[in-house]
Amino acid sequence: MTETNRNRLMLLIAIVMAAIYLFPLYWMYITALKSGSEMFATPPTFWPSVPQWSTYAFVWESRGMGRYLWNSLVIASGAVVLITVLGVGCAYVLARYRNVWVDIGLFLILMLQVLPASLMITPIFVGFSQLGMLDYPRLAVIIAIAAKSMPFFVVLVRATFMAVPMELEEAALVDGNSRVGAFFHIVLPLARNGILVSAILIFMQAFGEFVYSKSIIQDIELQPASVGLNSFMGPNTNEWNNIMAYATIYVTPILAIFVLLQRRIVSGLTSGAIK
Amino acid sequence: MGIRKYAVIGALALAGVSLFGLSARAEDVKLTVWSLDRDIQPAPNLVAEFNKLNNGIQIEYRQIQFDDVVSEAMRAYSTGQAPDIIAIDNPEHALFSSRGAFLDLTDMISKSTVIKPENYFPGPLKSVEWDGKYYGVPKATNTIALYYNKDMFTAKGLDPNKPPQTWDELVDAARKLTDPAANVYGLAFSAKANEEGTFQFLPWAQMGGGSYENINTEGAVKALEIWKTIIDEKLASPDTLTRGQWDSTGTFNSGNAAMAISGPWELDRMTQEAKFDWGVTLLPVPKEGVERSSAMGDFNWAIFASSKHPAEAFKALEFFASQDDKMFKNYGQLPARSDISIPETGQPLKDAALKVFLEQLKYAKPRGPHPEWPKISKAIQDAIQAALTGQASPKDALDQAAEKIKAVLG
Amino acid sequence: MPHSPSSGPTGHLLPAGERLNRMADAPSSISSRKGLSSAQAPGSPVRDVGGPVTRLLSSVRDGRGFDIVLVAFPLGFLFLMAGLPLLYNVLMSFQEVDMFSLGTLMRPFVGLKNYRDLFAQPETLPILANTAIFVVGSIAGQFLIGFGLALFFWVNFPGAAWLRGLFLVSWVMPGLVVGAIWNWILSGDFGVLNFILREGGIISANIFWRSDPNYSLYAVILANIWLGTAFNMILLSVGLAGIPADLYEAAELDGANAWQRFWTITLPMMRSTIGAIIALGLIFTLQQFDLFAAITSGGPNNSSNVTQYWAWEQSFRQYDFAKGATISVLMIVFVMIASVVYVRSTRHEVRG
Repeated sequence: MTETNRNRLMLLIAIVMAAIYLFPLYWMYITALKSGSEMFATPPTFWPSVPQWSTYAFVWESRGMGRYLWNSLVIASGAVVLITVLGVGCAYVLARYRNVWVDIGLFLILMLQVLPASLMITPIFVGFSQLGMLDYPRLAVIIAIAAKSMPFFVVLVRATFMAVPMELEEAALVDGNSRVGAFFHIVLPLARNGILVSAILIFMQAFGEFVYSKSIIQDIELQPASVGLNSFMGPNTNEWNNIMAYATIYVTPILAIFVLLQRRIVSGLTSGAIK
Repeated sequence: MGIRKYAVIGALALAGVSLFGLSARAEDVKLTVWSLDRDIQPAPNLVAEFNKLNNGIQIEYRQIQFDDVVSEAMRAYSTGQAPDIIAIDNPEHALFSSRGAFLDLTDMISKSTVIKPENYFPGPLKSVEWDGKYYGVPKATNTIALYYNKDMFTAKGLDPNKPPQTWDELVDAARKLTDPAANVYGLAFSAKANEEGTFQFLPWAQMGGGSYENINTEGAVKALEIWKTIIDEKLASPDTLTRGQWDSTGTFNSGNAAMAISGPWELDRMTQEAKFDWGVTLLPVPKEGVERSSAMGDFNWAIFASSKHPAEAFKALEFFASQDDKMFKNYGQLPARSDISIPETGQPLKDAALKVFLEQLKYAKPRGPHPEWPKISKAIQDAIQAALTGQASPKDALDQAAEKIKAVLG
Repeated sequence: MPHSPSSGPTGHLLPAGERLNRMADAPSSISSRKGLSSAQAPGSPVRDVGGPVTRLLSSVRDGRGFDIVLVAFPLGFLFLMAGLPLLYNVLMSFQEVDMFSLGTLMRPFVGLKNYRDLFAQPETLPILANTAIFVVGSIAGQFLIGFGLALFFWVNFPGAAWLRGLFLVSWVMPGLVVGAIWNWILSGDFGVLNFILREGGIISANIFWRSDPNYSLYAVILANIWLGTAFNMILLSVGLAGIPADLYEAAELDGANAWQRFWTITLPMMRSTIGAIIALGLIFTLQQFDLFAAITSGGPNNSSNVTQYWAWEQSFRQYDFAKGATISVLMIVFVMIASVVYVRSTRHEVRG
């Protein structure tokens, strides 16, 4: 088989696999465009007979999505900043040494994640209410998300630091840099890509966070898009096309960024700045 | 010592002044109301109307999902963050009132000119009672009956004016109406493992001579056997076990089920979506002449004991109650009141259905009240699911449920 | 930039002895120069000038203090925000908890009663078994498909990078949406999965994925595999990209076939990546809640119930918070396994 033929075959297989894997996404897009009765049709239709494009504008307006998305953005950004500030140094130290304390640290960081958010929310809510944090609900949610997502971030960024050659830091120290100096001027720039990429992954998770926001943020003006989505998803819903339109508006921008950035994401995690 | 004393007095005085200043500035009393109602349902609209009265009380509204009402309320109450007013599902009312979390409204109600106990249906009223006192006001009420597709009845040679009246007739009709080739099931109902399953099963058990305290009577076992027949013969979708009432009735509206057991909350959607002639009839009874029974659903209003403005909160409840007469017209919900006659809507199908539901309401029984209702309900759900999945016979399943319930009742 | 062959997060190609040397060597070469050492060694003052405050400051700037500060804040934060809530749950599992006493810690102690009650319930063991099946099934599926895809896209062909990007959608979609979509796809009567299987001649009658006790757990596993594959694939792609190409060239010269190269180079080189992925996957799987809530609610008859959903059900449906907390303590055992897997996998790393 020639090189070109092999490439064509691979591409074909890849497209078929992607088509299968992306089916749920396709279903979300297509349902948003269907009319009410077409959604429950048997057999299902794979392309709407009359696409209802107006659904998007209707949902955006009637649901006030602008405000919800802004809140999601604020919360996700805040969580990413907090996680990055706290997590990078932690990952660096855990990558720098190899001893029993590092093992214990890694063990604890993972261990603390045992419970799903739906079970953590009660103690966190109790704690926040006693500290008066519920008066700053978005900040409270940012802190809660940061605690939940940090281990994932630390594990990823630690791997990035592992890829930064130790010799470079040593050389900087020999040249008379302090530890702080070497960290900020040598190690951090080298790990920049990996950190950035991990931060993007965290951002995307935080953008869809639901359980903490639902319970902590009671003021509708401050709620993120996930809570807005849930508020019309109750057990008695029949607006599946609107729900899917909402979800489409919610997910698509993020998805586009992700697809555009993913090449960088993989290479960024791979090798720090070495390549 | 002396200086410190003066300092303390000074600080207290300052605090007093600033408190006074604050309360003087904030003229309006602020109340918070939590309920599950969304924009097209009563609560947010009533709140908006109330706020327009400008009577020195302003209400902030928060919508909570059906599934979250109790957990959010509990968490908020135990940390001192509870709202002033909440709408709570009637079987869960006693959970709160028995523990003193809700305010005793008996005195306020006795003085009220708007809220009078004698104006309410006995079932809903009983659900706000605990220990002979009133801990809330019924918000609305509902019950379940049998919807049926008249066009399908005609097509299968059944008389569309004689819907099934007994259990045997129901199963018989379901058999005739089921048509797998056309994707039609005879019946749609919900046996989901949550409160909805209990809500749908209890009327059957009660008509069979049972009750939640006595769930394994012969008649109740017979009821569960009939449910099992319906599922086993695929007269209803197997997804009945995991599907709620709203989704189940959705299949009726789309013509994939010929009959459906559900409540008046379906009426608005059905008049819009159903492209066929339909009717409603009372829930079938075990045998002709047996006493009817039905479930009683919907929410109650309550004021939290922690409210700082109980008088104002009660005023809000009085306003809500004063709007009960418009509830069916505007929101398609039934007020829990016997003194209000609901005007015709002008839609013949809806008006005919309303008559049936009002008749059915006379036989509606509250679930409980019991402070541990969720545990009782869980035992019943477990029995339904165990029997319908074939993991226990209906009799064994209900015997087990009865044992669990006995342990809860003590 | 210099790129030594052993760099990369998975670097693991030096012979064991040399690896040990390097490990022992790297930190000590610094400590000898800068008076700083790994955390086991007593902290010797960096520069012996100034009082204790100056010494402390200089240590934070240029000594072990720097490391300690970097680790102490995040760990403290995690302890407050994740550790204390966890302890709250552990404490509750030994107490009699009333629904209105959630705000306090002082509740009557009942010893092991909650645990005894839990194991006296007939559903406990089946639910634990379900959890094990769910975790093993999900992780196996996610990992194998993710690894397959990562290997497939590793072969560079035009368009590979773009198509690989598309596979990451499941990472981006909010759990609520994923749950709702899968609920639809798996629906028995009008679900599209049954439709496709029927049209494809694979089944003759609809399978009631959500309501048939024989299938319900696997329905959720299916959705969860879909959800987790993206995460597995991206991290495995990262690991694969870190394996130096010259290793394969050498092996090819030695006459190793593709299969042998996979077993002798790819897998060993990926060991620490795989450890991290499985550990994180275990945690994500144990935290999976949305899918159960959306698809089966743990039913019918608990046939698809797992500990995390059950604990929530006990707490927020039965309002039996002590029971819910007791179940969550059982989950700690599962996560401990994950943590040990992860920590052990880091043993195989060599720093670049």
